[in-house]
Amino acid sequence: MMDVSRRVFIKQGALALASVGLGPACGPYFLRNTVFAAEPDRSSRATGGRKVLICIFQRGAVDGMSMVVPHGDPYYYQHRNVNGIAIPRTGQDGVLDLDGTFGLHPALAPLKPIYQAGHLAPIHACGSPNATRSHFDAQDYMEAGAPGDKSVADGWLTRTLLHCPEDAAKMNSVFRGVAMTSQLPRSLQGEADALAIPDLRTFGINAANAAPVLPRKKNRSMAMGDMQGGHDTSAAGGFEALYDDAVGDVLHGAGKETFEALKMIQSINAKRYMPASGAEYPRTRYGDSLQQIAQLIKADVGLEVAFAEAGGWDTHVNQGSTQGQLARRLQEFGQGLAALYTDLGDRMADVTILTMSEFGRTARQNGNGGTDHGHATCFLALGGNINGGKVLGQWPGLAPEQLYENRDLAVTTDFRDVFGEVAQKHLGVRDLAAVFPHYQSSPDKFRGVLKA
Amino acid sequence: MFKLRSPFHPAPLLGVLAVPGLLYTATSSRAAETTVSTKTARIGSATRPSTTKPTTLSGDQKILHTLNRLGFGPRPGDVETVRQMGLGRWIDQQLSPESIDDSKVEGKVSRLTTLNMPANQLMLAYTADTAAFIKNLVKEGKIPNGNDPINNMPATAGQVTKVDTMQLDLKPEQRRLLDMVENSGLPRGLSIQAVGELEVSKITRAVESNRQLQEVLVDFWSNHFNLDVKKGPVRTLKVVDEREVIRPHVLGTFRQLLGASAKSPAMLFYLDNARSTKEFTTPLPRRNLRAINQGFDKNKAARKSRGGINENYARELMELHTLGVDGGYTQKDVQEVARCFTGWSIDRQTGHFHFYPFLHDDGVKTVLGHTIPAGGGIQDGEMVLDLLAAHPSTAHFIGHKLCVRFVSDTPPAALVDRVAKTFLDTGGDLKQVVRAIAYSPEFFSTAAYRAKIKSPFEFAVSAVRALGGQVEVPDPTLQFGRVRLLVDGGASVGQGGGAKGLLRRFEKGRGRNSLAEEVATMGQPLFSYQAPTGYTENSQSWVSAGALIARLNFALALTGGEVSDANISLSNLMEGIPTDNHEAVLDRLSEQLLGGGLSPATRDTLMQQMAPGTPANAAKIAALILGSPEFQRR
Repeated sequence: MMDVSRRVFIKQGALALASVGLGPACGPYFLRNTVFAAEPDRSSRATGGRKVLICIFQRGAVDGMSMVVPHGDPYYYQHRNVNGIAIPRTGQDGVLDLDGTFGLHPALAPLKPIYQAGHLAPIHACGSPNATRSHFDAQDYMEAGAPGDKSVADGWLTRTLLHCPEDAAKMNSVFRGVAMTSQLPRSLQGEADALAIPDLRTFGINAANAAPVLPRKKNRSMAMGDMQGGHDTSAAGGFEALYDDAVGDVLHGAGKETFEALKMIQSINAKRYMPASGAEYPRTRYGDSLQQIAQLIKADVGLEVAFAEAGGWDTHVNQGSTQGQLARRLQEFGQGLAALYTDLGDRMADVTILTMSEFGRTARQNGNGGTDHGHATCFLALGGNINGGKVLGQWPGLAPEQLYENRDLAVTTDFRDVFGEVAQKHLGVRDLAAVFPHYQSSPDKFRGVLKA
Repeated sequence: MFKLRSPFHPAPLLGVLAVPGLLYTATSSRAAETTVSTKTARIGSATRPSTTKPTTLSGDQKILHTLNRLGFGPRPGDVETVRQMGLGRWIDQQLSPESIDDSKVEGKVSRLTTLNMPANQLMLAYTADTAAFIKNLVKEGKIPNGNDPINNMPATAGQVTKVDTMQLDLKPEQRRLLDMVENSGLPRGLSIQAVGELEVSKITRAVESNRQLQEVLVDFWSNHFNLDVKKGPVRTLKVVDEREVIRPHVLGTFRQLLGASAKSPAMLFYLDNARSTKEFTTPLPRRNLRAINQGFDKNKAARKSRGGINENYARELMELHTLGVDGGYTQKDVQEVARCFTGWSIDRQTGHFHFYPFLHDDGVKTVLGHTIPAGGGIQDGEMVLDLLAAHPSTAHFIGHKLCVRFVSDTPPAALVDRVAKTFLDTGGDLKQVVRAIAYSPEFFSTAAYRAKIKSPFEFAVSAVRALGGQVEVPDPTLQFGRVRLLVDGGASVGQGGGAKGLLRRFEKGRGRNSLAEEVATMGQPLFSYQAPTGYTENSQSWVSAGALIARLNFALALTGGEVSDANISLSNLMEGIPTDNHEAVLDRLSEQLLGGGLSPATRDTLMQQMAPGTPANAAKIAALILGSPEFQRR
């Protein structure tokens, strides 16, 4: 059943092999040594028309007004103190102005050239129509793509994958949906069988357990065999053979995919990756995850939706201004996005990067030099097909009467307007109603994130 | 010889119980198998087409099956023990866990300090670790950092360096709270440690308890009434929930269990009922607000200053806890049930359930066609629970879910109907309900045999048990033990990266995972499922490529001694087997880990994994068997 519904990427492997002059009969074992090694020039090619969406979730509710600062709104400096958390309008440490009204946080400097190239569009005052200020519920609603409805069991990216049109250029593979996380995020849960890969470098049999093992008891007359030497690498082969034997078992299918995926990943040789064009990813878990998404895209394994996350945005206390806690997080965040953009180069023509967060933070700073849970925040969209170089969305204003419940930036763009536009215009999903229950989708609601 | 014991046999079940095959014992097995065979064959062919399996389970298969379903799989020697005492007697004993001595494992977990801590202290531990101003003081170095146990370890438990709060610039309310934290003597970081202790106790009991069925049922009901330690004070209140709501009631009546859950402070918070109130015509006075706000979320209280119902609990109560989504309730019922539960909240001082009459909507309500008269106060909620617990939809929903856990992902409708009938006939007596399943012919059918894929938790626990292993329970009064518990807790709470670094220092750079971390890596972080549905009972959903890798690696880590708190001795398991006799090594391991029954193909494959003329690598063969498709099933 599973085998039929997912055209395992053997098919694709065969195609790839054919493209370098080898017959499909060679089988996936050959991939390791041939396909990628034989085609060094692949790094300069686009994704072959396959559109890729990379979602980055800022868990903890990022202060959108510190990412993209509304320095032109007079109330901004009333709600936030320059000696506190506000970003100054001018000066060396001031905002990086975008259009006279909005400016990037100075820690996001690496994103400025991308904006100027027209490949970055912030979508401001974006968020959920649901009023919850619970991280738990808001993330759940956003990832399910169904604000207020807890009965939706699968994620919006899963439904997006299930409703992507099928065509020859878009072959199913075990790598269609990949999250660079240890558990599958809510966004990718459900029937699309997405993979959760916390780290490509350790995604393998026994990779983490290579340390030599000593028996706990020193009774050598027992059948300890060569256990002292630890497990040899042949364990993977043993497992593969066992799952190969299990014909007719649902585990047989899962095993097959697992070992195919493993071989594919081994062939990518994640440990020796060199980003292109001198791109420098932050040396953090977040940076690694973005770099590995780039690797998967370049390896052409059939990736369509990738998911990564960045944490540390729940800045109730000592948020900081141009320097400080939030600035450090933004520095890493922006550097990662810029590195991914640089590393993917021409491929960005087919790639959209979308950042999101469950809600924003209060317009006013609180008594602890921080901000509390608010309502709207700011999303970022990057890519060759992004209608960039301008700030999208509708600015609701920061005057007290314009604030949501007299405290938060109001939501003027439903996050589904953005998700929906990307799903439809970038990935080709036609039936948005199937992806977003209870949501009346219409092109009028799109914010013009992608070029027509 | 097994005898029927009358108190446990409701009349409607006698027909089932009379089938002698279900009461398999060493002396009566032959007669039993012939009697059951016709029935199982029919069921088998209905659910699994074109099977060539024998139509009946052998005596040992029944034992193995029962140990895998009513328990977490056999330990070495278990099959023989059950064979000796008789399967029926073993099942009956498991249904009366109080008759089984479990002092050894209870002794082991008793060193975990938060498990028996009163609710008010657990609340305080959560507040101490999460209050923004306290975190701030830690960040500024004015008070010690609880997440750094090496530098902030009390000399002995309960002896914490006191902070002089008068030296700090604090508001009176903050000073009062910090004084309370300081005077309690609770070390900071305790809320994460509490989650770690909860995980370790769950794993230890599952591996080592003699009351196996009880632990399986605790796992089932704890998941049915799911709570997520990532959400606010649920982090520490889940300790109270597991101890006082779930564990005492798994073999009582469903109404008792449901009532306990409805008043569980963790549940009241998790599903927001703690903040659900009647609607006021004028904004509430500040002092009254405090009762709703519980000190957890000031913003929300401000927003709800005129109060109003929160439908979250009412909806999940019917959808997930009792009737099921198609159980015949309407949106209007959800609102009415929510009104009935207004004022059911938490006393923030004691950490206990508290009913606030002035927050309760005392008007007339109509729930599922029944009128709840005005002025009922707390009785409104009790009446709703009575209605729901006795509802035929609930009997069917719960019966079906239990059959999915114990029998198969697609249990025969006839079985579910009988179990639902038992539920209704016995007033929701969960002991009788489980008994009806455990003694059903469907339970012992070939269609059910090894039909379920183990959850990551079941997989890990059954692997340790199969190897005859023990769990090393960390000592929270020692630095090493405390760091380990912080790491375990962190795996579920989603914090504690610093503790992992400290642990590496202790382990001299070895980054070994614990059982709790391994279970999390395999996709089932304990007490940490975000949605109120809990982990699915449909075992097929555990099958995925990414998850399989984690299982194979766990198998290798476990047999290679790389799981930090699993005490495994392969040498005991291999006692008397010469390493150069590959056949003997394989026989012993397959017998111990799978109860024999290797297919010829699997056997050949495993034989090929041992190079001729070299000593067998028992650890590797054991890992291959534990990682094999066969061992993923129960």
